[in-house]
Amino acid sequence: MTHDVVPWDSPEPLAGPIGVPLVDLLDRVLATGVVISGDLVIAIADVPLVRLSLHALLSSVSERVPAPWADGGPL
Amino acid sequence: MTERGPESSDANATYVFAVCWNPDPSAVARLPGVADDAPVSLLPLGALTAIVQTVRARDFTNEVWQARLSDQRELERYARAHHDVVSAAAACCPTVPLPMATLYQSEERAREALSSEADRFHAALKRIAYHAEWGVKVYVQPSPPDESNHGATPTVRSRPAPGAGLAYLDRKRGAQERREQRRDEALQVAEAVDTEVRSLATASRRLRLHGPQPSGERRVQVLNATYLVAEHRADELTLLTQALRERTGAQVELSGPWVPYSFVGEV
Repeated sequence: MTHDVVPWDSPEPLAGPIGVPLVDLLDRVLATGVVISGDLVIAIADVPLVRLSLHALLSSVSERVPAPWADGGPL
Repeated sequence: MTERGPESSDANATYVFAVCWNPDPSAVARLPGVADDAPVSLLPLGALTAIVQTVRARDFTNEVWQARLSDQRELERYARAHHDVVSAAAACCPTVPLPMATLYQSEERAREALSSEADRFHAALKRIAYHAEWGVKVYVQPSPPDESNHGATPTVRSRPAPGAGLAYLDRKRGAQERREQRRDEALQVAEAVDTEVRSLATASRRLRLHGPQPSGERRVQVLNATYLVAEHRADELTLLTQALRERTGAQVELSGPWVPYSFVGEV
């Protein structure tokens, strides 16, 4: 198993919401913060690349999701 | 693939979680961080302190991140590990989070690069002191299925009554108008909620709207916004969102307090 890189059963710290939904967390940990360049993974700190990869993963993380009321939409 | 290779042959890198004012080392020391090789530790930068962890460079290359980003469970593990460290630091001192996956080739390089941005970090720390970030999302229910097909029973097919085509067009037009009206109402609710919450916030940002969830949930998100709110106004915010729920009838979800991730950039 390669999954012990990050021990996963540790309790969450008291600060911050408990059980934060992933989509809300990604809104914050990926796209924000003081933008500075790193040495090794500059491309990762670069939001468009991250967004691109996520697009295939979570439709909810893409800016390309059409407006919910596009013609014929549910509203 | 073994996770524990010969450590001596591995190049190390420095992962940076956040930059703080005077953190307590014990606040983060016991957290796992993003690797198990070294503890999360402090890197002094003059008046600032970075929260860092030494990791194996080969576990954090661009290629490895690409693979990680395409695996939702892996992505979630790293996002939460990053968030745990940031949250623990913020619980003890003013903290500016860095985006996930900010790495340097060495502590020296990290110190050099972060120190050169010291003014921006100080400005961001001043702005967010005694504040927290709160997310507000508004959802409305989708409209019921199109009613324009009502009455389209097989018996009707044999011979259309006179005027059936016109009636059909009227129904279609009516459905379109109702849809537009619902859209306008939903937008008005979103704007009203945003305006009211902004009135007690220090700063605000609109985030991208979330698309439909894979769970098949049918409600539609019409606002995804986030606000920087002074600590002493947090109770007011809770009351306001409750009032907005009652007044608008929409689902208004409040999340927080968050470390002010969304309000530390653009200094």
